[in-house]
Amino acid sequence: MTEAPPIHIDALTLAYGTHRVLDGLTLSVPAGSITALLGGNGAGKSTTLAALLGFAKAQSGTIAVCGVDPGRQPDLARKRIAYLPENVALYEHLTAVENADYLLALSGERQSKAAITDALAAAGLQDRAWDQRLGGFSKGMRQKVAIAVALLRQVPVLLLDEPTSGLDPRATADFNALVSAVRDRGTAVLMVTHDLLSAADVADSIAFLEGGRVAEAVPASGPDRFDIRALHARFQVGADRLAA
Amino acid sequence: MSVVRLIARDELRLMARNRVAVIAFVLLVLLTLAAVLSSWAHQRGIAELRSRHAAAAEQAFDAQPNRHPHRVVHYGTFIFRPLSPLAAFDPGVDAFTGNSMFLEGHRQNTANFGDVRQSSLLIRFGQLTPAFVLQIVAPLLLIFLGYGALARERERGTLRLLMLQGVGRGELVRGKGAALGVVALLAGLPAMIGFALIAGQPGAQIVPMLTIAGGYLAYLALWVVVILLVSAFARRSRDALLALVAIWAVTVILLPRVVPDIANAAVPLRNRLQTDVAIARDLRRMGDSHNPDDPHYAAFKQSVLDRYGVTRVEDLPLNYKGVLAMEGERLTSSLFDRYAGESFAAQARQNALVDAAGILSPAIALRSLSMAAAGTDFAGHRRFLDQAEAYRYDLVQRLNRMQATDVSYADDTATDAGADQRKRVAADNWQRMPDFRFERPDGAVLARAALPGLAILVAWLMIATGLLALATRRLGVR
Repeated sequence: MTEAPPIHIDALTLAYGTHRVLDGLTLSVPAGSITALLGGNGAGKSTTLAALLGFAKAQSGTIAVCGVDPGRQPDLARKRIAYLPENVALYEHLTAVENADYLLALSGERQSKAAITDALAAAGLQDRAWDQRLGGFSKGMRQKVAIAVALLRQVPVLLLDEPTSGLDPRATADFNALVSAVRDRGTAVLMVTHDLLSAADVADSIAFLEGGRVAEAVPASGPDRFDIRALHARFQVGADRLAA
Repeated sequence: MSVVRLIARDELRLMARNRVAVIAFVLLVLLTLAAVLSSWAHQRGIAELRSRHAAAAEQAFDAQPNRHPHRVVHYGTFIFRPLSPLAAFDPGVDAFTGNSMFLEGHRQNTANFGDVRQSSLLIRFGQLTPAFVLQIVAPLLLIFLGYGALARERERGTLRLLMLQGVGRGELVRGKGAALGVVALLAGLPAMIGFALIAGQPGAQIVPMLTIAGGYLAYLALWVVVILLVSAFARRSRDALLALVAIWAVTVILLPRVVPDIANAAVPLRNRLQTDVAIARDLRRMGDSHNPDDPHYAAFKQSVLDRYGVTRVEDLPLNYKGVLAMEGERLTSSLFDRYAGESFAAQARQNALVDAAGILSPAIALRSLSMAAAGTDFAGHRRFLDQAEAYRYDLVQRLNRMQATDVSYADDTATDAGADQRKRVAADNWQRMPDFRFERPDGAVLARAALPGLAILVAWLMIATGLLALATRRLGVR
């Protein structure tokens, strides 16, 4: 008997008022894999994340995070999720270590300072930044702190919203390596992005979202491995359609 | 550590790391300490001064030589209102109402020498007292420290971050409230030290003190809840700050200044000149004791003669001039009492209007509560005036009675060379006259007078808490 994937969405429909954003979305992200969710503006990418986080309620279909419906039990579902929004929200009056300590304490998973600094090091944050307040941190540094928290929490699901936007190529490569390491620990990673190159670089599979449903899903390896040029062309077409 | 405590601790850590917040808090604490100390010293000075002057006035009265009692009636005496021990915390209307009275026959004088008339005009803009700091300044500090408590979390995206750690909305609001509550308690601590000083004074009453402490606690708790409520609704921290400062300006500054003016316009009072003219007119109507044809006094004279079964005042066993003085004092006092009663009634209606405005402004409700429990409100002033008038009337009538019994009518009307000495009574009589002693109200009476203000504050607190509970449910909903 195969274990249910940590992220499982089936025929999900979600509307804001009369505007239907998700329309029969079906998507699964197995443990230890990265799925990149691509699509034009308004395709429903962020709404998919909001539904997984329990901030938006679906009208029909099923959605589960490690078997928990976030619409019904948001607190329980959130305990299984680490989420990095496009602009990582952390506390600027706290240092990197204090941020991690505070967030872990809130989630009831307090850890020693040594464990926190180990995680920060594993996330690639230089040791001189550990005890600095986040006020002067770059986006990449903030992401590392957030990833360190995710590592310490050992959550089975990592949601990323436009993680590489605004990062330079070096920082993007560092981030992708970090996400790959998280994946290798068995975490299911769903990455919403516009960055096709980054998706191609790190993802195990890529799902195209159009009109609130997955129009096409392609694997990143094997005989059906995606063709980046074809993907680019498809992405352009999708964007044009939406613009029209 | 519970989630609520963690959030409260982090909020306090944020405040502690904000230099402006720390400076503002330290300034408030210093201001309150200065207010406690200066108010304490000021009130001690006033109490000592009044006590000294009261003793001097009593001594001067007692030291009068052998004298005709009616001269003593006109010599009069000064009395002083002793301060309530809690006046060091909230002097209320004391600085404005006057604190001494000259008592004499045929006249009902008003209190004089309010501090406002003896000080610079600055005192009219608010004295630096613990009550002033807690009523006006402390809410402003809480606003500046707490306006972003919830709005900032939403604005910066950390609200969702907290929720993703499993933090409940209620836990978040309670944690923020606990942090602001700690700040409010710390801000009130110097005032509580002042309270402890006051508690050591003789005559301090524990029930009014507890009422005041409860009132200020409810007031600061209300501000904490209102700040969280506005912060929960506002889309941005800046909006929350603007809204809260506007609420503070209207409820703490504007309404308490404007409402008394509205009450004054709605229930106008006679000014001093109008009252004096009206009383003089009524006195003329009342009759002239020196006019033998005056109908009232002619009838009075006849009733006295009839009571003693004589036909001439010379045959009365009492000095008719003393009896006449007693009747005259009775009549004029009843007239003064009527005018004073009308004035008190009008002032009570004005105060009722102002108190009712507590529904619009918790600061007004707190002020009423604070002054009533401290015994420094209008009722406290009236208590002094009533007791002063009762004392004056008794003193004057004792002297008139002394004239009627200890000075013969023949001597009183004589004009020979030795008559002046024969009209006099012994000086030790003045020492036997009772001194004025202000009877303080019972603590339960003061606390009861503060209950309406406390009830309004508690109602405000309950409504605001209910609204905050509703806002909490909507927190973070897109």
